[in-house]
Amino acid sequence: MAQAPQSSGDAESGLSLVDCDLHQSYATDDELAGYLPERYESRGIVIPELLFRHESSSSRPDSFRGDETATGGYNSADVYAGSSKEAVIDILDENGTDYAFLTHQTDLTINGIPNTDYAFELAKAANEYAMEEWIPEDDRLLMSLFVAMEEPEKSAEMIREMGDHPRVRQILIQSVVGRNPFGQEYYWPVYEAAEEMGLQVGLHVSSTGTGTMYPPTAAGHPTTSIEWSSVVPSAYMGTLASLVTEGVLEKYPDLGFNFIEGGYMWVPQLMWRMDNLWKAARSQVPWLEKRPSEYIYDQVRFTTQPAHFPEDPRRLTKLMEAFDAEKLLMFSSDYPHHDTDDPEHALPPGLSEEARERIYYKNAQEFYDLPDDPADLE
Amino acid sequence: MTTRHEVCSASELEPGDRKLVEVGGISVGVFNVDGEYHALNNVCPHQLADLCEGPVTGTTTSDEVGEFGEWVRDGEIIRCPWHGWEFEIESGESLFNPHVRTRSFEATVEEMAPDCDPTDGESVCERANETADGNAVDQEEKYGTSLAGDEPPVDTYEVEVESETVVVYV
Repeated sequence: MAQAPQSSGDAESGLSLVDCDLHQSYATDDELAGYLPERYESRGIVIPELLFRHESSSSRPDSFRGDETATGGYNSADVYAGSSKEAVIDILDENGTDYAFLTHQTDLTINGIPNTDYAFELAKAANEYAMEEWIPEDDRLLMSLFVAMEEPEKSAEMIREMGDHPRVRQILIQSVVGRNPFGQEYYWPVYEAAEEMGLQVGLHVSSTGTGTMYPPTAAGHPTTSIEWSSVVPSAYMGTLASLVTEGVLEKYPDLGFNFIEGGYMWVPQLMWRMDNLWKAARSQVPWLEKRPSEYIYDQVRFTTQPAHFPEDPRRLTKLMEAFDAEKLLMFSSDYPHHDTDDPEHALPPGLSEEARERIYYKNAQEFYDLPDDPADLE
Repeated sequence: MTTRHEVCSASELEPGDRKLVEVGGISVGVFNVDGEYHALNNVCPHQLADLCEGPVTGTTTSDEVGEFGEWVRDGEIIRCPWHGWEFEIESGESLFNPHVRTRSFEATVEEMAPDCDPTDGESVCERANETADGNAVDQEEKYGTSLAGDEPPVDTYEVEVESETVVVYV
Protein backbone atom coordinates (compact mmCIF):
# COMPACT_ATOMS: atom_id res chain seq x y z
CA MET A 1 0.00 0.00 0.00
CA ALA A 2 0.88 3.62 -0.07
CA GLN A 3 3.74 4.93 1.91
CA ALA A 4 4.20 8.39 3.25
CA PRO A 5 6.05 10.43 0.68
CA GLN A 6 9.71 9.99 1.37
CA SER A 7 10.56 13.53 2.22
CA SER A 8 12.77 12.85 5.16
CA GLY A 9 16.01 14.66 5.70
CA ASP A 10 14.22 17.67 7.10
CA ALA A 11 15.39 17.96 10.65
CA GLU A 12 13.29 21.06 11.28
CA SER A 13 9.98 19.28 11.20
CA GLY A 14 8.78 15.95 12.39
CA LEU A 15 5.93 15.88 9.91
CA SER A 16 5.72 14.16 6.57
CA LEU A 17 2.08 14.38 5.47
CA VAL A 18 -0.92 16.59 6.18
CA ASP A 19 -4.15 15.56 4.49
CA CYS A 20 -6.44 18.55 3.96
CA ASP A 21 -9.51 16.60 2.90
CA LEU A 22 -10.71 13.43 4.56
CA HIS A 23 -14.44 12.72 4.53
CA GLN A 24 -15.67 10.96 7.60
CA SER A 25 -19.40 10.46 7.97
CA TYR A 26 -22.20 9.25 10.12
CA ALA A 27 -23.42 5.88 8.89
CA THR A 28 -27.07 6.82 8.45
CA ASP A 29 -29.16 9.98 8.37
CA ASP A 30 -30.83 8.99 11.62
CA GLU A 31 -27.50 9.14 13.37
CA LEU A 32 -27.05 12.79 12.42
CA ALA A 33 -30.69 13.66 13.00
CA GLY A 34 -30.17 12.89 16.66
CA TYR A 35 -28.05 16.03 16.87
CA LEU A 36 -30.72 18.33 15.41
CA PRO A 37 -32.82 20.48 17.73
CA GLU A 38 -36.25 19.12 18.63
CA ARG A 39 -38.10 21.18 16.07
CA TYR A 40 -36.19 19.44 13.30
CA GLU A 41 -35.30 16.09 14.78
CA SER A 42 -38.46 14.33 13.66
CA ARG A 43 -38.05 15.75 10.16
CA GLY A 44 -34.60 14.30 9.88
CA ILE A 45 -32.10 15.11 7.19
CA VAL A 46 -33.78 16.89 4.30
CA ILE A 47 -31.39 18.14 1.70
CA PRO A 48 -31.79 19.11 -1.92
CA GLU A 49 -31.18 16.12 -4.16
CA LEU A 50 -28.19 16.11 -6.43
CA LEU A 51 -28.97 16.53 -10.07
CA PHE A 52 -26.74 13.64 -11.08
CA ARG A 53 -24.61 10.91 -9.62
CA HIS A 54 -21.22 9.61 -10.40
CA GLU A 55 -21.20 6.80 -12.91
CA SER A 56 -19.50 4.31 -10.71
CA SER A 57 -21.30 5.54 -7.60
CA SER A 58 -18.28 4.30 -5.80
CA SER A 59 -16.27 5.06 -2.76
CA ARG A 60 -13.65 2.98 -1.07
CA PRO A 61 -15.73 -0.11 -0.20
CA ASP A 62 -13.76 -0.65 2.97
CA SER A 63 -14.80 2.76 4.30
CA PHE A 64 -18.39 1.81 5.11
CA ARG A 65 -19.21 0.90 8.65
CA GLY A 66 -19.39 -2.69 9.77
CA ASP A 67 -21.27 -5.27 7.82
CA GLU A 68 -23.37 -2.77 5.98
CA THR A 69 -20.63 -2.16 3.45
CA ALA A 70 -20.77 -1.02 -0.07
CA THR A 71 -24.43 -1.04 -0.75
CA GLY A 72 -23.93 1.96 -2.94
CA GLY A 73 -22.04 5.18 -3.46
CA TYR A 74 -21.46 7.99 -1.06
CA ASN A 75 -24.49 9.80 -2.30
CA SER A 76 -26.98 7.01 -2.67
CA ALA A 77 -26.18 4.49 -0.01
CA ASP A 78 -28.26 3.66 2.98
CA VAL A 79 -24.94 3.69 4.75
CA TYR A 80 -22.45 6.40 3.98
CA ALA A 81 -18.87 5.99 2.94
CA GLY A 82 -16.36 7.15 5.51
CA SER A 83 -18.50 5.91 8.36
CA SER A 84 -16.05 3.24 9.49
CA LYS A 85 -13.79 4.70 12.15
CA GLU A 86 -11.45 1.76 11.85
CA ALA A 87 -11.06 2.37 8.13
CA VAL A 88 -10.39 6.08 8.62
CA ILE A 89 -7.74 5.40 11.27
CA ASP A 90 -6.26 2.74 9.02
CA ILE A 91 -5.88 5.13 6.13
CA LEU A 92 -4.02 7.57 8.37
CA ASP A 93 -1.58 4.80 9.23
CA GLU A 94 -1.31 3.56 5.65
CA ASN A 95 -0.58 6.99 4.26
CA GLY A 96 1.67 8.02 7.12
CA THR A 97 -0.61 10.99 7.77
CA ASP A 98 0.40 13.25 10.64
CA TYR A 99 -2.74 15.34 10.54
CA ALA A 100 -5.98 15.03 8.59
CA PHE A 101 -8.76 17.54 8.30
CA LEU A 102 -12.19 16.04 8.69
CA THR A 103 -14.34 17.47 5.93
CA HIS A 104 -17.51 15.55 6.69
CA GLN A 105 -20.32 14.24 4.59
CA THR A 106 -20.22 15.91 1.19
CA ASP A 107 -23.88 15.92 0.30
CA LEU A 108 -25.29 18.15 2.98
CA THR A 109 -25.55 21.06 0.54
CA ILE A 110 -25.60 23.41 3.51
CA ASN A 111 -25.42 26.60 1.51
CA GLY A 112 -28.08 25.44 -0.92
CA ILE A 113 -30.88 24.82 1.54
CA PRO A 114 -33.57 27.49 1.15
CA ASN A 115 -34.56 27.28 4.81
CA THR A 116 -31.50 28.93 6.26
CA ASP A 117 -32.48 28.25 9.85
CA TYR A 118 -32.53 24.56 9.07
CA ALA A 119 -29.27 24.90 7.15
CA PHE A 120 -27.66 26.48 10.19
CA GLU A 121 -28.96 23.79 12.53
CA LEU A 122 -27.82 21.09 10.14
CA ALA A 123 -24.32 22.56 10.01
CA LYS A 124 -24.23 22.79 13.77
CA ALA A 125 -25.51 19.23 14.16
CA ALA A 126 -22.82 17.93 11.81
CA ASN A 127 -20.22 19.82 13.82
CA GLU A 128 -21.44 18.52 17.16
CA TYR A 129 -21.61 15.00 15.77
CA ALA A 130 -18.02 15.15 14.55
CA MET A 131 -16.74 16.76 17.74
CA GLU A 132 -18.35 14.07 19.85
CA GLU A 133 -17.96 11.02 17.67
CA TRP A 134 -14.77 11.57 15.74
CA ILE A 135 -12.39 14.06 17.30
CA PRO A 136 -11.79 11.94 20.42
CA GLU A 137 -10.93 8.95 18.22
CA ASP A 138 -7.44 9.99 17.20
CA ASP A 139 -5.10 12.91 17.91
CA ARG A 140 -4.33 13.25 14.23
CA LEU A 141 -7.87 14.24 13.30
CA LEU A 142 -8.47 17.98 12.98
CA MET A 143 -11.86 19.59 12.93
CA SER A 144 -13.47 21.83 10.34
CA LEU A 145 -16.56 23.71 11.49
CA PHE A 146 -19.30 23.76 8.88
CA VAL A 147 -20.83 27.20 8.53
CA ALA A 148 -24.18 28.23 7.06
CA MET A 149 -23.16 31.27 5.06
CA GLU A 150 -26.71 32.58 4.68
CA GLU A 151 -26.93 32.87 8.47
CA PRO A 152 -23.75 34.86 9.03
CA GLU A 153 -24.55 36.23 12.51
CA LYS A 154 -25.63 32.90 13.93
CA SER A 155 -22.68 31.19 12.31
CA ALA A 156 -20.31 33.76 13.78
CA GLU A 157 -21.74 33.03 17.21
CA MET A 158 -21.30 29.30 16.67
CA ILE A 159 -17.69 29.83 15.55
CA ARG A 160 -16.99 31.71 18.78
CA GLU A 161 -18.63 28.97 20.84
CA MET A 162 -17.05 25.97 19.19
CA GLY A 163 -13.86 27.46 17.81
CA ASP A 164 -11.70 27.47 20.89
CA HIS A 165 -11.16 23.70 20.95
CA PRO A 166 -7.49 23.05 20.14
CA ARG A 167 -8.35 20.58 17.38
CA VAL A 168 -10.66 23.01 15.58
CA ARG A 169 -8.41 24.67 13.04
CA GLN A 170 -10.75 25.96 10.38
CA ILE A 171 -14.30 26.76 9.41
CA LEU A 172 -15.63 25.05 6.32
CA ILE A 173 -17.77 26.53 3.59
CA GLN A 174 -19.32 23.63 1.76
CA SER A 175 -20.86 24.37 -1.63
CA VAL A 176 -19.51 27.66 -2.83
CA VAL A 177 -22.45 28.97 -4.80
CA GLY A 178 -24.32 31.12 -2.31
CA ARG A 179 -27.04 33.65 -2.84
CA ASN A 180 -24.24 36.09 -3.56
CA PRO A 181 -20.50 35.73 -4.02
CA PHE A 182 -18.93 35.05 -0.64
CA GLY A 183 -16.65 38.08 -0.65
CA GLN A 184 -19.59 40.42 -0.10
CA GLU A 185 -19.99 42.32 3.13
CA TYR A 186 -23.08 40.37 4.16
CA TYR A 187 -20.82 37.39 4.91
CA TRP A 188 -18.08 39.25 6.77
CA PRO A 189 -19.32 38.40 10.28
CA VAL A 190 -18.29 34.82 9.55
CA TYR A 191 -14.77 35.84 8.57
CA GLU A 192 -14.47 38.22 11.49
CA ALA A 193 -15.32 35.46 13.93
CA ALA A 194 -12.95 33.01 12.27
CA GLU A 195 -10.06 35.46 12.39
CA GLU A 196 -10.85 36.32 15.98
CA MET A 197 -10.69 32.64 16.94
CA GLY A 198 -7.46 32.07 15.04
CA LEU A 199 -9.10 29.76 12.51
CA GLN A 200 -8.61 29.47 8.78
CA VAL A 201 -11.35 29.19 6.17
CA GLY A 202 -11.66 26.00 4.18
CA LEU A 203 -13.91 25.87 1.17
CA HIS A 204 -15.09 22.55 -0.14
CA VAL A 205 -16.37 22.18 -3.64
CA SER A 206 -18.83 19.40 -2.83
CA SER A 207 -22.47 19.93 -3.66
CA THR A 208 -21.67 23.24 -5.33
CA GLY A 209 -24.46 24.37 -7.59
CA THR A 210 -26.60 21.33 -7.05
CA GLY A 211 -30.15 20.99 -5.83
CA THR A 212 -31.89 24.34 -5.54
CA MET A 213 -28.76 26.43 -5.81
CA TYR A 214 -27.76 28.63 -8.68
CA PRO A 215 -25.85 26.49 -11.16
CA PRO A 216 -22.12 26.06 -10.64
CA THR A 217 -21.43 27.96 -13.86
CA ALA A 218 -23.27 30.70 -15.69
CA ALA A 219 -23.69 28.23 -18.56
CA GLY A 220 -26.39 26.51 -16.55
CA HIS A 221 -26.92 23.29 -14.61
CA PRO A 222 -24.74 20.38 -15.69
CA THR A 223 -26.64 17.18 -16.41
CA THR A 224 -23.96 14.63 -15.58
CA SER A 225 -21.23 14.21 -13.03
CA ILE A 226 -18.53 14.38 -15.70
CA GLU A 227 -19.83 17.77 -16.74
CA TRP A 228 -20.17 18.98 -13.16
CA SER A 229 -16.72 17.83 -12.11
CA SER A 230 -15.18 19.40 -15.19
CA VAL A 231 -16.57 22.87 -14.67
CA VAL A 232 -17.09 23.25 -10.95
CA PRO A 233 -13.71 24.98 -10.48
CA SER A 234 -15.30 27.96 -12.22
CA ALA A 235 -17.39 28.48 -9.09
CA TYR A 236 -14.13 28.71 -7.18
CA MET A 237 -12.87 31.31 -9.62
CA GLY A 238 -15.89 33.44 -8.89
CA THR A 239 -15.50 32.97 -5.15
CA LEU A 240 -11.81 33.82 -5.12
CA ALA A 241 -12.27 36.86 -7.35
CA SER A 242 -14.97 38.05 -4.98
CA LEU A 243 -12.84 37.54 -1.86
CA VAL A 244 -9.97 39.48 -3.41
CA THR A 245 -11.83 42.39 -4.98
CA GLU A 246 -14.29 42.98 -2.16
CA GLY A 247 -11.29 43.34 0.11
CA VAL A 248 -11.83 40.38 2.44
CA LEU A 249 -8.15 39.47 2.31
CA GLU A 250 -7.18 43.07 3.03
CA LYS A 251 -9.66 43.44 5.86
CA TYR A 252 -8.76 40.13 7.52
CA PRO A 253 -4.99 39.84 7.00
CA ASP A 254 -4.61 36.97 9.45
CA LEU A 255 -7.21 34.87 7.68
CA GLY A 256 -6.23 32.22 5.15
CA PHE A 257 -8.49 30.49 2.65
CA ASN A 258 -7.98 26.91 1.51
CA PHE A 259 -9.80 26.00 -1.70
CA ILE A 260 -10.30 22.26 -1.43
CA GLU A 261 -10.89 19.85 -4.31
CA GLY A 262 -11.27 22.45 -7.00
CA GLY A 263 -8.07 21.96 -8.97
CA TYR A 264 -5.33 24.54 -9.33
CA MET A 265 -4.42 25.07 -12.96
CA TRP A 266 -7.02 27.83 -13.15
CA VAL A 267 -5.19 29.74 -10.44
CA PRO A 268 -2.40 31.27 -12.57
CA GLN A 269 -4.96 32.24 -15.17
CA LEU A 270 -7.01 34.07 -12.57
CA MET A 271 -3.98 35.67 -10.88
CA TRP A 272 -2.43 36.92 -14.07
CA ARG A 273 -5.71 38.22 -15.38
CA MET A 274 -6.61 39.96 -12.14
CA ASP A 275 -3.18 41.53 -11.81
CA ASN A 276 -3.36 42.92 -15.30
CA LEU A 277 -6.91 44.20 -14.95
CA TRP A 278 -6.11 45.78 -11.60
CA LYS A 279 -3.55 48.07 -13.21
CA ALA A 280 -6.37 49.86 -14.95
CA ALA A 281 -9.24 49.19 -12.59
CA ARG A 282 -7.62 49.77 -9.22
CA SER A 283 -9.73 52.87 -8.75
CA GLN A 284 -12.78 50.56 -8.54
CA VAL A 285 -11.20 48.80 -5.56
CA PRO A 286 -9.07 51.44 -3.85
CA TRP A 287 -9.05 49.40 -0.62
CA LEU A 288 -6.59 46.97 -2.19
CA GLU A 289 -3.08 47.85 -1.08
CA LYS A 290 -1.26 45.43 -3.36
CA ARG A 291 -1.86 43.52 -6.54
CA PRO A 292 -4.34 40.64 -6.39
CA SER A 293 -1.80 37.85 -6.79
CA GLU A 294 0.12 39.06 -3.76
CA TYR A 295 -2.95 38.59 -1.61
CA ILE A 296 -3.33 35.10 -3.03
CA TYR A 297 0.26 34.05 -2.40
CA ASP A 298 0.06 35.49 1.10
CA GLN A 299 -3.32 34.16 2.21
CA VAL A 300 -4.79 31.57 -0.16
CA ARG A 301 -3.98 27.90 -0.73
CA PHE A 302 -5.34 25.14 -2.96
CA THR A 303 -5.38 21.39 -2.52
CA THR A 304 -3.96 18.87 -4.91
CA GLN A 305 -6.75 16.38 -5.40
CA PRO A 306 -8.02 15.43 -7.93
CA ALA A 307 -4.55 15.20 -9.43
CA HIS A 308 -4.08 16.51 -12.93
CA PHE A 309 -2.19 14.31 -15.32
CA PRO A 310 -1.50 15.21 -18.92
CA GLU A 311 -0.16 12.45 -21.14
CA ASP A 312 3.33 13.53 -20.34
CA PRO A 313 3.17 14.36 -16.62
CA ARG A 314 6.48 16.21 -16.77
CA ARG A 315 4.69 18.93 -18.70
CA LEU A 316 2.52 19.51 -15.65
CA THR A 317 5.68 20.01 -13.64
CA LYS A 318 6.68 22.84 -15.96
CA LEU A 319 3.27 24.43 -15.69
CA MET A 320 3.42 24.24 -11.92
CA GLU A 321 6.81 25.88 -11.90
CA ALA A 322 5.41 28.70 -14.01
CA PHE A 323 3.38 30.02 -11.07
CA ASP A 324 5.41 28.76 -8.10
CA ALA A 325 2.77 26.17 -7.33
CA GLU A 326 4.81 24.87 -4.43
CA LYS A 327 3.95 28.06 -2.56
CA LEU A 328 0.22 27.56 -3.03
CA LEU A 329 -0.60 23.86 -2.94
CA MET A 330 -1.36 21.49 -0.09
CA PHE A 331 -1.92 17.77 -0.30
CA SER A 332 -5.39 16.29 0.01
CA SER A 333 -6.61 12.74 -0.43
CA ASP A 334 -10.40 13.17 -0.60
CA TYR A 335 -10.63 9.77 1.03
CA PRO A 336 -12.79 7.72 0.57
CA HIS A 337 -14.34 9.01 -2.63
CA HIS A 338 -14.14 7.61 -6.11
CA ASP A 339 -11.48 10.10 -7.13
CA THR A 340 -9.32 9.78 -4.02
CA ASP A 341 -5.59 10.34 -4.47
CA ASP A 342 -2.97 8.14 -2.95
CA PRO A 343 -0.15 10.42 -1.75
CA GLU A 344 2.32 8.45 -3.84
CA HIS A 345 0.48 9.54 -6.98
CA ALA A 346 -0.66 13.04 -6.20
CA LEU A 347 2.19 14.98 -7.80
CA PRO A 348 3.91 14.76 -11.17
CA PRO A 349 7.50 13.59 -11.48
CA GLY A 350 10.31 16.06 -11.62
CA LEU A 351 9.22 18.43 -8.89
CA SER A 352 12.04 19.41 -6.60
CA GLU A 353 12.30 17.78 -3.21
CA GLU A 354 11.71 21.14 -1.61
CA ALA A 355 8.51 21.61 -3.62
CA ARG A 356 7.27 18.16 -2.67
CA GLU A 357 7.91 18.79 1.01
CA ARG A 358 6.08 22.08 0.86
CA ILE A 359 3.07 20.51 -0.80
CA TYR A 360 2.93 17.37 1.33
CA TYR A 361 3.18 19.02 4.71
CA LYS A 362 5.15 22.24 5.10
CA ASN A 363 2.59 24.59 3.61
CA ALA A 364 -0.20 23.06 5.67
CA GLN A 365 1.87 23.11 8.82
CA GLU A 366 2.48 26.83 8.35
CA PHE A 367 -1.02 27.64 7.14
CA TYR A 368 -2.76 25.91 10.05
CA ASP A 369 0.03 26.53 12.57
CA LEU A 370 0.41 22.87 13.47
CA PRO A 371 2.96 21.65 16.00
CA ASP A 372 5.21 18.72 15.17
CA ASP A 373 3.47 16.65 17.80
CA PRO A 374 -0.35 16.56 17.85
CA ALA A 375 -0.14 16.34 21.64
CA ASP A 376 1.16 19.92 21.62
CA LEU A 377 -1.97 21.36 20.02
CA GLU A 378 -3.33 24.10 22.20
CA MET B 1 21.81 67.46 -21.96
CA THR B 2 18.37 68.91 -22.47
CA THR B 3 17.21 71.26 -25.14
CA ARG B 4 14.81 74.10 -24.63
CA HIS B 5 11.70 73.96 -26.78
CA GLU B 6 9.08 76.64 -26.93
CA VAL B 7 5.63 75.14 -27.14
CA CYS B 8 3.07 77.90 -27.32
CA SER B 9 1.92 81.07 -25.75
CA ALA B 10 0.86 80.62 -22.15
CA SER B 11 -2.57 81.89 -23.08
CA GLU B 12 -3.04 78.85 -25.29
CA LEU B 13 -2.54 76.43 -22.40
CA GLU B 14 -4.99 77.33 -19.70
CA PRO B 15 -5.40 75.26 -16.53
CA GLY B 16 -6.86 71.89 -17.50
CA ASP B 17 -5.56 72.14 -21.07
CA ARG B 18 -3.02 69.94 -22.73
CA LYS B 19 -1.09 70.22 -25.95
CA LEU B 20 0.63 67.50 -27.94
CA VAL B 21 3.80 68.62 -29.65
CA GLU B 22 6.73 67.13 -31.49
CA VAL B 23 10.01 68.16 -29.95
CA GLY B 24 13.42 66.72 -30.52
CA GLY B 25 11.88 64.00 -32.66
CA ILE B 26 9.52 62.67 -30.02
CA SER B 27 5.90 63.25 -29.18
CA VAL B 28 5.34 65.06 -25.89
CA GLY B 29 2.19 66.02 -24.03
CA VAL B 30 2.37 69.35 -22.22
CA PHE B 31 -0.17 69.91 -19.46
CA ASN B 32 -1.32 72.84 -17.40
CA VAL B 33 -2.52 71.35 -14.12
CA ASP B 34 -3.94 74.12 -12.02
CA GLY B 35 -1.24 76.55 -13.12
CA GLU B 36 1.59 74.04 -12.86
CA TYR B 37 3.16 72.91 -16.10
CA HIS B 38 4.18 69.31 -16.77
CA ALA B 39 5.34 67.38 -19.80
CA LEU B 40 5.19 63.64 -20.44
CA ASN B 41 6.52 61.39 -23.13
CA ASN B 42 3.44 60.53 -25.17
CA VAL B 43 4.03 56.80 -24.81
CA CYS B 44 2.39 54.39 -22.42
CA PRO B 45 4.99 51.90 -21.12
CA HIS B 46 2.44 49.11 -21.41
CA GLN B 47 1.82 48.79 -25.16
CA LEU B 48 3.15 52.13 -26.44
CA ALA B 49 -0.20 53.79 -26.94
CA ASP B 50 -0.41 57.60 -27.19
CA LEU B 51 -0.75 58.06 -23.46
CA CYS B 52 -1.21 61.80 -23.51
CA GLU B 53 -4.37 61.53 -25.60
CA GLY B 54 -6.20 59.80 -22.76
CA PRO B 55 -8.72 61.33 -20.40
CA VAL B 56 -7.44 63.58 -17.62
CA THR B 57 -9.16 62.58 -14.43
CA GLY B 58 -8.93 62.11 -10.67
CA THR B 59 -9.07 58.92 -8.68
CA THR B 60 -10.70 57.17 -5.76
CA THR B 61 -9.49 56.60 -2.24
CA SER B 62 -10.53 54.33 0.58
CA ASP B 63 -10.03 54.57 4.31
CA GLU B 64 -11.86 51.34 5.04
CA VAL B 65 -12.29 48.13 3.08
CA GLY B 66 -15.45 48.29 1.01
CA GLU B 67 -15.92 52.05 1.57
CA PHE B 68 -14.99 54.76 -0.90
CA GLY B 69 -13.30 57.85 0.47
CA GLU B 70 -12.91 61.21 -1.26
CA TRP B 71 -12.52 61.66 -4.99
CA VAL B 72 -9.05 63.13 -5.10
CA ARG B 73 -6.44 64.66 -7.41
CA ASP B 74 -8.98 65.70 -9.99
CA GLY B 75 -7.13 66.86 -13.10
CA GLU B 76 -3.81 65.44 -11.91
CA ILE B 77 -4.09 61.98 -13.43
CA ILE B 78 -4.15 60.78 -17.00
CA ARG B 79 -5.50 57.43 -18.08
CA CYS B 80 -4.06 55.68 -21.09
CA PRO B 81 -6.67 55.76 -23.86
CA TRP B 82 -6.12 52.06 -24.63
CA HIS B 83 -6.22 50.12 -21.37
CA GLY B 84 -6.95 52.78 -18.81
CA TRP B 85 -3.82 52.61 -16.70
CA GLU B 86 -3.56 55.67 -14.45
CA PHE B 87 -0.49 57.91 -14.43
CA GLU B 88 0.43 60.90 -12.34
CA ILE B 89 0.81 63.81 -14.75
CA GLU B 90 3.37 65.45 -12.49
CA SER B 91 5.79 62.52 -12.31
CA GLY B 92 4.79 60.13 -15.08
CA GLU B 93 4.53 57.34 -12.52
CA SER B 94 1.66 54.87 -12.71
CA LEU B 95 -0.59 54.72 -9.69
CA PHE B 96 -0.32 50.94 -9.33
CA ASN B 97 3.46 50.84 -9.30
CA PRO B 98 5.78 53.87 -9.30
CA HIS B 99 8.42 51.87 -11.15
CA VAL B 100 6.08 51.59 -14.12
CA ARG B 101 6.21 55.07 -15.57
CA THR B 102 6.54 57.18 -18.62
CA ARG B 103 9.28 59.77 -18.94
CA SER B 104 8.53 63.22 -17.65
CA PHE B 105 10.22 66.45 -18.71
CA GLU B 106 10.63 69.82 -17.15
CA ALA B 107 8.01 72.28 -18.33
CA THR B 108 7.59 75.87 -17.33
CA VAL B 109 6.61 79.33 -18.52
CA GLU B 110 9.32 81.70 -19.63
CA GLU B 111 9.65 84.85 -21.60
CA MET B 112 9.24 84.24 -25.31
CA ALA B 113 12.04 84.50 -27.74
CA PRO B 114 11.44 87.47 -30.05
CA ASP B 115 11.81 85.46 -33.25
CA CYS B 116 9.26 82.87 -32.27
CA ASP B 117 5.68 83.79 -33.02
CA PRO B 118 3.25 81.27 -31.61
CA THR B 119 0.44 82.73 -33.68
CA ASP B 120 2.07 81.92 -36.99
CA GLY B 121 0.71 78.38 -37.05
CA GLU B 122 3.90 76.73 -35.86
CA SER B 123 3.20 75.34 -32.45
CA VAL B 124 6.78 74.65 -31.58
CA CYS B 125 9.76 76.88 -31.62
CA GLU B 126 12.93 75.07 -30.90
CA ARG B 127 15.89 76.90 -29.52
CA ALA B 128 18.87 75.45 -27.82
CA ASN B 129 19.15 77.04 -24.45
CA GLU B 130 22.80 77.59 -24.65
CA THR B 131 25.21 79.91 -26.32
CA ALA B 132 27.97 78.93 -28.67
CA ASP B 133 30.41 78.62 -25.83
CA GLY B 134 28.05 76.45 -23.83
CA ASN B 135 27.05 79.01 -21.24
CA ALA B 136 23.44 79.49 -20.34
CA VAL B 137 21.68 82.27 -22.14
CA ASP B 138 21.25 85.45 -20.21
CA GLN B 139 17.60 86.06 -21.01
CA GLU B 140 17.74 89.68 -20.10
CA GLU B 141 20.76 90.48 -22.13
CA LYS B 142 19.82 88.51 -25.21
CA TYR B 143 16.12 89.28 -25.45
CA GLY B 144 15.93 92.53 -23.58
CA THR B 145 12.77 91.52 -21.86
CA SER B 146 13.56 92.84 -18.47
CA LEU B 147 12.07 96.24 -17.99
CA ALA B 148 13.22 96.68 -14.48
CA GLY B 149 14.04 100.29 -13.73
CA ASP B 150 12.51 101.56 -16.97
CA GLU B 151 9.32 103.52 -17.14
CA PRO B 152 6.88 101.00 -18.57
CA PRO B 153 4.98 101.91 -21.71
CA VAL B 154 1.20 102.21 -21.58
CA ASP B 155 0.58 98.73 -22.92
CA THR B 156 3.11 96.99 -20.70
CA TYR B 157 0.64 94.67 -19.05
CA GLU B 158 -0.74 93.33 -22.34
CA VAL B 159 2.69 92.87 -23.83
CA GLU B 160 3.97 90.90 -20.88
CA VAL B 161 1.07 88.45 -20.95
CA GLU B 162 1.42 87.88 -24.64
CA SER B 163 5.11 87.27 -24.27
CA GLU B 164 4.81 84.40 -21.78
CA THR B 165 5.67 81.15 -23.42
CA VAL B 166 5.35 77.56 -22.33
CA VAL B 167 8.66 75.82 -22.72
CA VAL B 168 9.69 72.23 -22.25
CA TYR B 169 13.18 70.87 -21.80
CA VAL B 170 13.67 67.55 -23.59
